Amino acid sequence: MTIAVPDPARADWPYTARFARVNGRRMAHVDEGSGAPVLLLHGNPAWGYLYRDVIPPLLAAGRRVVVPDMIGFGLSEKPRSEHAHSLDGHISNLVALVRQLDLRDATFVCHDWGGPTGFGCALTEPGRVAALAIMSTWAWPSPPAAFHDAIFPWRMMHAPLVGPWLLGTHGALAGRGMYLSVVDRARFRDRAQAAYEAALPDPADRLLTWVWPRWIPLDDGVRATARFAWLEAGLRASCWPTLLVWGREDEVFDAATFAARFKALIPHAEGPHLVRGRHFLQEDSGPEIAALLLEFLTRNGV
Amino acid sequence: MDVTVIPAPALDGLRPTPLLTEERVGHYPEFRDFFRRSFDLDRVGLAAPGCVRAPSGNPYLLVFLGRSGEPFPSGVEIQALPPGLEPLDEAEADRDLYAILRWMVAGVGAPWSVEALEGTARLYRVPAAG
Repeated sequence: MTIAVPDPARADWPYTARFARVNGRRMAHVDEGSGAPVLLLHGNPAWGYLYRDVIPPLLAAGRRVVVPDMIGFGLSEKPRSEHAHSLDGHISNLVALVRQLDLRDATFVCHDWGGPTGFGCALTEPGRVAALAIMSTWAWPSPPAAFHDAIFPWRMMHAPLVGPWLLGTHGALAGRGMYLSVVDRARFRDRAQAAYEAALPDPADRLLTWVWPRWIPLDDGVRATARFAWLEAGLRASCWPTLLVWGREDEVFDAATFAARFKALIPHAEGPHLVRGRHFLQEDSGPEIAALLLEFLTRNGV
Repeated sequence: MDVTVIPAPALDGLRPTPLLTEERVGHYPEFRDFFRRSFDLDRVGLAAPGCVRAPSGNPYLLVFLGRSGEPFPSGVEIQALPPGLEPLDEAEADRDLYAILRWMVAGVGAPWSVEALEGTARLYRVPAAG
């Protein structure tokens, strides 16, 4: 059980961990500053630390910044059963947190699984949302990318028994997986990799790293298909100011496919603004992302 | 593959030690079907665990799990059987697990392949994959 900030993260993660109860689980989050809130949502296998270079400029600009660790990651409770995790459950966790913190006029910044969960929360609590920012994610029921449809390596990574062995016993996603998904790999290895690995120290802590891939609707008729269809329809009907920021080098959720599809889904969205980065673009372009966000929010009066 | 199905040994003097637990063996149903075929699970059910001998010569139990409302087996736990109070040789057990996974994937068959498993394990630099 990880409650303290992992040692490798202490130097650049000075924030006090706060804890909420959501759906019977302990959810860690950072809640700093005052003003219009910005909710920074991470995905698999990260935690709030992913946004460490985004937070300071937002705080300096007078924003309230809320950064939850998804249940199963970071300093939040890590349930030991796969059956404790579902897409709807994780959306509901965010809904609970947003209500408890009484966030209003909030900007939802959604990355990876912070996309489907954040969109689901925003569509459930639309009156609390002022704007969306979308990065390297998806929101429709078809397989996200050819990468996700292939046996090597994606389906194999989370296959029965292979997932618990590769991603659990060997912790492949928080270490090597993230390393492969940034541009400046040497910098990531020296500066950040240990902070992600230390948040998932034991095989059982890493459960969600192979469970989340199993919630991607890769085949016809599988679970969550209807929820993704609902997300797609909801975003199509949305009219919040929306910003698209994408990693120029992202070869999994590539901008030409995914940012373009979000642009078609939400025609009024601004961007995509391309920054240096692969899937975990915050690692390579945190300050640039913060600057884009602030300029977008200011210009839209959020 | 050097992995063979064997009768489960008597457990006297052995210490069943869970190594790997899979709660959702039917996520891709062809994996569940492989275990049903390989261990005659439609007949055996929960009455007895399966067992394989791995390349090290050590036996490993496959304890199948049932869950109400789901086809059987819903999950499987692989257990090492070190003797008595002897600590587990983790490196050897991991090499054996890797061999068991390759045997499983080969048995599941196309589109799954041992080459894809080996490539994935090498990509993520798992020591057992060399």
